[in-house]
Amino acid sequence: MAGQVITITSGKGGVGKTTATANIGVALARRGQRVACVDADIGLRNLDVVMGLENRIVYDLVDVVEGNAKLRQALIKDKRLPELHLLPAAQTRLKSAVNEAQMQEVCGELKKEFDFVLVDSPAGIESGFKTSVAPADQVLLVVTPEVSSVRDADRVIGLIEAYEKPTPQLIINRLRPALIRRGDMLDTADVLEILAVELIGIVPEDERIISSTNKGQPVALEDHSESGAAFMRIAQRLMGEQVPFQMFAESPGWLERVSKFLRR
Amino acid sequence: MALVSFKGTREGLSITLGEGVWRDVLNELAAQLGRPSAQSFFHGARVLLDTGPRAIDVIELEELIALLSQHGMTLTSVIGGPNSQDAFEQVRATIPPPPETFEVEPTAEIPAALPADTATAMLIHRTVRSGQRYRYSGTIVIMGDVNPGAEIIAEGDVIVWGKLRGVVHAGASGNDAAIVGALVLAPTQLRIGGYIARAPEERGRARSVTAEIARVREGRIVVEPWSGL
Repeated sequence: MAGQVITITSGKGGVGKTTATANIGVALARRGQRVACVDADIGLRNLDVVMGLENRIVYDLVDVVEGNAKLRQALIKDKRLPELHLLPAAQTRLKSAVNEAQMQEVCGELKKEFDFVLVDSPAGIESGFKTSVAPADQVLLVVTPEVSSVRDADRVIGLIEAYEKPTPQLIINRLRPALIRRGDMLDTADVLEILAVELIGIVPEDERIISSTNKGQPVALEDHSESGAAFMRIAQRLMGEQVPFQMFAESPGWLERVSKFLRR
Repeated sequence: MALVSFKGTREGLSITLGEGVWRDVLNELAAQLGRPSAQSFFHGARVLLDTGPRAIDVIELEELIALLSQHGMTLTSVIGGPNSQDAFEQVRATIPPPPETFEVEPTAEIPAALPADTATAMLIHRTVRSGQRYRYSGTIVIMGDVNPGAEIIAEGDVIVWGKLRGVVHAGASGNDAAIVGALVLAPTQLRIGGYIARAPEERGRARSVTAEIARVREGRIVVEPWSGL
């Protein structure tokens, strides 16, 4: 059975696309799935760093597209999980080095051998974004609970619908329960109310992400981190399992509701 | 889904395009219109085109208009994605007028006072998202939300059966009598004819819990709870 191509995108930069790609890849591989992560952020590659595989790069996506290397040669096997692979981006080239048809061809090849092909999209809505969405069977949209991120995500949903791709599923990332309880952050319901798409995961803000990113050790490798557990649940949902959503912030009590209402 | 489907409406003939290669869609349409039984049936029809999820471009639209006019049909409006809207705006001036012989005689019953631009409406049955823009020469009715960053521009009224949070301009050709109505009326900016109103500065959720209607009264835009027309 052919695998599926899942593109992870966001519109806005810095919301955690690359971290999400790496961790979902790790989580799927830990559950025995064969996973290929593709870094489509040509010229600003990061996924290799987050996955801790930077020093193993010999060939990259552009080499494959231009025929300098075979796909098999460019794929890097993860040092911890034998099921996990990375196809890195070129750092010295521009987005224009790979077009939509080429991306579709590469992902089509990968689909034959892997259960999941995760494409890490660049930020923005320009050609690089279009290229990374072109091969997608499914799109995951990473959004942080901020007005600017939600606005960009809304724009991206519209574009993805215009490209005749399935409606994206939402990952709400970097949720801060304490801020929500104080009424200072959009909560899950606020985000879903605007975007009106299906939710596939909620990931709480976690300081460990920063150190794990710097070390190239995705949090989903550990068993005891909240964010890592959240990525594991996303992986399970991608595999078709029903996993209940963990609500990190209880809805405010009646007293807060009243005070919030009065402040409107 | 069929490449092309037809539906009769009160406004005229509605043609909905399905997904697929443009050339196939156009050929299918030509075949359908070319059937002997269809010839006289379609002649003189006013066509409302629904492009569905397809983003039609100017060249494609011109091909379609040419095909329709071969069969004596006239494209009068386009619904679908914002790209399709833009393409239609660009080519609409080039569309030949409907053939004289099939013009309906105007009857005396049509009240002269009725503004021409409220006579037709565009129905949008989806959420209008940030960066999407709809323009129409009549009234726009939206079944769904209008999110922040979206723009709705109508020469007639704008009615939103949902939350209106984007930018809206009713009476865009200078009709100050146009209205804007929404179940939740909380636009970023609201324009009627030549008047502009902003949302109150304080951030927060939509304050209204009832449907509201905005109109120009005594030189300013006022918002009132909906209580029927």
